[in-house]
Amino acid sequence: MSDDTPTTSPDGAGTGTDTSESTQSTSPPSDSPSKTQSAIQSLSSILPSTPPPSLSSAFSLLHDPEVAAQISSLLRHPNSGAGENNLCRWLYDTFQSGDPDLQLVALRFLPIIAGVYLSRVTLRKPLAGFEAVLLAIYAHETTSRAGQPITVNVPDLSHPSVYHESKAPIKNNATELNLAVLSPTLEPHGTVRSTKRARIVGVALELYYSKISQMPVGSKIDFCEFCVGWSGHVYEENDGEETERMGKEGRIPLPWELLTPALRILGHCIMGAREKTEVFDAAWAACRSLHARSMHDINSRAILATGSLLRLGKMDMEPTQDFDPTEIPKSDVLTT
Amino acid sequence: MEFGEHEIGIEVREVYANGVWMKTTEVEAKLDEGNIQEAESSLREGLSLNFEEARSLLGKLEYQRGNIEGALRVFEGIDLQAAIQRLQPPIAEKVPSRRGRSYSEPLHAVSQHAASLVLEAIYLKAKSLQKLGRLSEAARECKSVLDAVERLFYQGIPDVQVDNKLQETVSQAVELLPELWKQAGHYHDAISAYRCALLSQWNLDNDCCTRIQKRFAVLLLYGGVEAGPPSLAVQIDGSYIPKNNLEEAILLLMILMRKFILGKTQWDPSVMEHLTFALSLCRQTPVLAKQLEEIMPGVYHRVDRWNSLALCYSGAGQDDAALNLLRKSLHKHERPNDLIALLLAAKICSEDSHLAAEGVVYAQRTINNAQGIDEHIKSVGLRVLGRCLGMQAKVSSSDFERSHLQSEALKSLGGAIALDRNNTDLIFELGIQYAEHRNLNTALRYAKKFIDVTGGSILKGWRLLALVLSAQQRFSEAEVVTDAAIDETSKWEQGPLLRLKAKLKLSQSLHMDAIETYRHLLALVQAQRKSFGPLRMFPQAEDDKVNEFEIWHGLANLYSSLSHWKDAEICLGKARELKQYSSEALHTEGSLREGRGQIREALAAYIDALLLEPYYVPCKILIGSVLSKRGLKVLPVARSLLSDALRIDPTNRMAWYYLGIVHRNDGRIADAADCFQAASMLEESDPIESFSSIH
Repeated sequence: MSDDTPTTSPDGAGTGTDTSESTQSTSPPSDSPSKTQSAIQSLSSILPSTPPPSLSSAFSLLHDPEVAAQISSLLRHPNSGAGENNLCRWLYDTFQSGDPDLQLVALRFLPIIAGVYLSRVTLRKPLAGFEAVLLAIYAHETTSRAGQPITVNVPDLSHPSVYHESKAPIKNNATELNLAVLSPTLEPHGTVRSTKRARIVGVALELYYSKISQMPVGSKIDFCEFCVGWSGHVYEENDGEETERMGKEGRIPLPWELLTPALRILGHCIMGAREKTEVFDAAWAACRSLHARSMHDINSRAILATGSLLRLGKMDMEPTQDFDPTEIPKSDVLTT
Repeated sequence: MEFGEHEIGIEVREVYANGVWMKTTEVEAKLDEGNIQEAESSLREGLSLNFEEARSLLGKLEYQRGNIEGALRVFEGIDLQAAIQRLQPPIAEKVPSRRGRSYSEPLHAVSQHAASLVLEAIYLKAKSLQKLGRLSEAARECKSVLDAVERLFYQGIPDVQVDNKLQETVSQAVELLPELWKQAGHYHDAISAYRCALLSQWNLDNDCCTRIQKRFAVLLLYGGVEAGPPSLAVQIDGSYIPKNNLEEAILLLMILMRKFILGKTQWDPSVMEHLTFALSLCRQTPVLAKQLEEIMPGVYHRVDRWNSLALCYSGAGQDDAALNLLRKSLHKHERPNDLIALLLAAKICSEDSHLAAEGVVYAQRTINNAQGIDEHIKSVGLRVLGRCLGMQAKVSSSDFERSHLQSEALKSLGGAIALDRNNTDLIFELGIQYAEHRNLNTALRYAKKFIDVTGGSILKGWRLLALVLSAQQRFSEAEVVTDAAIDETSKWEQGPLLRLKAKLKLSQSLHMDAIETYRHLLALVQAQRKSFGPLRMFPQAEDDKVNEFEIWHGLANLYSSLSHWKDAEICLGKARELKQYSSEALHTEGSLREGRGQIREALAAYIDALLLEPYYVPCKILIGSVLSKRGLKVLPVARSLLSDALRIDPTNRMAWYYLGIVHRNDGRIADAADCFQAASMLEESDPIESFSSIH
């Protein structure tokens, strides 16, 4: 009936609907169906059960829940991630195919790869397979950004901007701006050096964030769940009473290079995709855990950032007045 | 929407046009039977309307009745685009012969009403499509409203002349369009629609504009779609154009804040929260503090405001300002038990030996108040308490008090680790405390554990391990650790490690290797200076950058210890070019002079160093050492200087050694023996750089 009722989202009507799962892919359709075909073929030799015949395009590969479940469980397997691991090889090849739609498929699993990898680093297990995928994504970002940092000029309102006027005469053009570095210069890395690990994963997450509007719900939830593990703090409901439990495993150092992209992703999940209650709930829980963690780290900026996300989420949960300014006034008298 | 659902039957609608009222009961009945045409004709007859007017009214009626599909059917029966075409002024009139708008007004005055009717119909069609979930179609219809407005009123309409109804429809369409694109998942179209809404002249009222700005900021901030900057076409000379989404979002949020501060709009707490999120992500918390300070009193509770400001300042490293605010908010009449404020205050105090005692109070209060859902904070409280006590021990006036504080510090940290075994910060803290306590075996265990649990990802862990090994005089092992650490870092972060390595070489009397390492380090630092603008950031090495001064100074010391006076002087000169007033450089100069037998000059340099920095321990010791050789008369002076040095730095073996010499020369043999023994014990546990340099 319409072009925008997404298959995965029954709540296409109503306000605030994010149909990120719809066909709104901005990239051109796969220019190389053969690449997709061979990716699907080699995947079917890796997965325990044969993928459904409906699996024919990169889009279906990205959104098929059965395939996602199988890949996820293989990635979470205790012995996944080694150098000779087939699935890692497949994810690497899929990302390296150069096809933007196939790259999305590989990125869809980044939360699990990053999550399992970072939590497992200290176990001295072979993880070269995961590292190859992460390095490939990092290298892709390094190239596409030409190594340049991402910076933000925080404006000074005493200068006029496109959105506002200012009475102050324009003298010193941009000198008053506060320059902030959101993601510093990218250096090439051929291997994962331990002190660079967080940075490499962080940059991969930055790419993930830039594609997040095209990611399936499951992928976002995966990420949120790993954030809880990384933080080391779990909130649980016991007999109607809420308790906080410090996580046993998975707690990792959370430097800013990792925290910044993680918080941006959570921000999206809380504020940008709020109609999907499962995503919201998962992100809310993750944010709460990271807030507890930021108190343990006594990290002022993280306390501010997670605190504001939590308050925003709370405002969102509260019932709001149903004022819709785009609705015509209700009236018993209609006029032309 | 709920119109038709409740109070059915009581609801009586009327239509009014051309001076005639008419009840709609009959028309609605016809609509319910599906007879659109009959309904239309009864409206046309009753109210003297033309086809389009009647249809538009019918559509609106259906829409108001909540019969969205019916409304859509009605609207689809009108060729709205053709109606627009008819409304358009003939081409000839597009070039008015007389200049100025006032002369073309009659045309607008006539067409505004007609236009408003058609435009409202298209708008309601868009709303109907939206309600039916056909979002892209809805967006296209909505856009055609705006396109039509631009075509019909290409010359604009003077404010006073605008038809209210028309303005309302236009404002609604402007506001709806980006929402529709967003709901349809077409983020790029949504972003251009938002920009069009804010950058074109739609004569929007303040509230409408505020809503659009806020929603746009939210999309930019959380949408995850990078849209590129607004086009240069909108650039007004010299005005600021944001160059990415985050910048644009921050700009809009700051504009919203200003509107509120100027009283032009209602307070919306979410705006400040969005701004907090955005600015803390990009480390611009001082800007956030400025925003908070501008908000009128009464919006936030003063304690909340103080605490937020404190977080902002401490986030930017302005701990003094933060602590002053926290002292206010933690006052017994304010909110003395706020956990975040207590933790932050305790942490700030734990970094300064003169504030440590104050920090102990905050930390203890944290522990006492960590209850219920916040019980997990107890371990943090214990950790900062340990740090504060350890710091307090450094300035304690008596040995007894010092060792008491130190053991209390360790007890507190032990209590913390029992609660939170996986906390890497805690493991590191224990390593440092044990190392400072010269319990090197335990320190070594924690240093190794820290590297294990962090997977070697944190630079300071490697440095701690190397320093502990160096304190155990296991220099070659320390060097192996340093080399491993160098392998695990990228070039630009190797400075502190190379400095460590140079010192390790020196400790093994490998002077040439040490010089080689210094050269390497110098090249690195110089390259760093040349190739880095402000945009490079070294998250881990940020606090511990090796500067060129240190290298030249290190080299000067090295040559001086080899009695290569000339080279030493050259290096010292280089160091002084970089930092004119430095007690370290004066210290080296003094040693140089002393080495060459120029005792008076040496003494002068040492004293100058103390004038610069009254607590500079090495020069106190050296003056003491020089004086100890100068006969009985000056021995009391030497003794007081050395005791003073030991008060500041009780584990300084050189101070103990020279104090021993003073005692011996003064004939107090037993005291001398004690001092020598202390010195020799410490010699076996001195790290090559102080442990506190790692923090």
